[in-house]
Amino acid sequence: MGKKVLVVDDDPDVRLFSVTVLEEHGYTPLEAANGEEGLKMIKEQKPDLIILDILMPRQSGIRLYRELKTDKSLKNIKVIILSGIAKKTFLRSQKALTEFGGKEVPEPKIYLEKPVEPDELAEAIKKYLG
Amino acid sequence: MDIKKLLFVTKFEELGFDALQSLLSLRKASLNHVVFVNVIERDRVAMHRGAGYLKEEEIRLRETANIRFIDWAEDLFEQGMEVGVYIVVGSLVSEVIKAAQKEETDLIVIGRSHKGVLEHLYSGSDITELLRRAEIPVLVYKQLSETAIAIEKPFERPLLAIDWSPASLSAVEYLKALKDVIQELDIIHVVGQKKLKGTSAMGIQAIRKDTRKKLEEICNIFESEGVKADAQVYIGEADEEIEKAAREHQASMIVLGSSGKTAWVERWLGSTPQSIAEKSIYPTLLIPFDQK
Repeated sequence: MGKKVLVVDDDPDVRLFSVTVLEEHGYTPLEAANGEEGLKMIKEQKPDLIILDILMPRQSGIRLYRELKTDKSLKNIKVIILSGIAKKTFLRSQKALTEFGGKEVPEPKIYLEKPVEPDELAEAIKKYLG
Repeated sequence: MDIKKLLFVTKFEELGFDALQSLLSLRKASLNHVVFVNVIERDRVAMHRGAGYLKEEEIRLRETANIRFIDWAEDLFEQGMEVGVYIVVGSLVSEVIKAAQKEETDLIVIGRSHKGVLEHLYSGSDITELLRRAEIPVLVYKQLSETAIAIEKPFERPLLAIDWSPASLSAVEYLKALKDVIQELDIIHVVGQKKLKGTSAMGIQAIRKDTRKKLEEICNIFESEGVKADAQVYIGEADEEIEKAAREHQASMIVLGSSGKTAWVERWLGSTPQSIAEKSIYPTLLIPFDQK
């Protein structure tokens, strides 16, 4: 069984796209439709990598990323952000949340703006998981 | 009751980002999460003779909405707010109620519907239906260009119209929680003409005095919370007098308790909250009776 990759995105078409790329490259995909569901699955399944959208119902990727990076048992799980929201916005948002009293969180190493080509996504995953 | 999470329902043409920005003063009352909802009415993409389900049209409408929401969300995210989004195909009111329940929002903001009189009469307006079904407060937002009144921040100078019903007393409690947002509050009661029929001049004065005294008691509640509040008594038709009071006191919004009458009663007999929500030029906040 390949390494587990959790795709957190509310758009079923994007999940299907990511899952297809993952399966083609021998990984085991998992899926969640929003941040809240994603966090639950992360705790239960402990995936090796998370492909995370930002703008979602229930809980956004911005808050989920913050929860991951400030949780001792989860902070080492690798994250690729895949979103229509600009990276600049993500960073400003994290800065604002830190200024409101939150902990400082590291920048995501890979931030892809939608839409991406399958090869681009596959390469990003490979960078993390080999 | 705090307003932490707000459901912003838009078809874009009637409610834009400027409307949302005017509501951001609610951050002083704990607002930190905005959920956008765009409902693609089923008729626009449903099975059409010879064309079937218009999947391409659905994709086009979804993506158009998505692009707008991404822009709006970026602005809010950068202010440290939390944002969510629903773009769904279905019937407006059902989808709004579903999203409000899923997200457990504290307030629904919706633009005024633009159906004609006959459509209102026979099918009921979306607003009426939403007011009937929503268990949380609903703000019916009115577009600035429509009113030509510069309403910067609706929650800053509200006018609360009280009829002493349990719902209007819920509205008092609701506004109390917004003390950090409200700058000035006018509280009014409209005495119906029927109540004055056959009453002497002294009797009318006594009704006014009693009503005013009761209103002053409500004002004192707000004054003790640090909100400047004034009481006024009006006489006449409720809808007209409330609108007049809002104009005279340069209100930024009208607040009413929503009776929760059944849809057919409201449709055939009418109700003040429904009428004001649909006809007034002012944003109208309707607070349902909090049974808790």
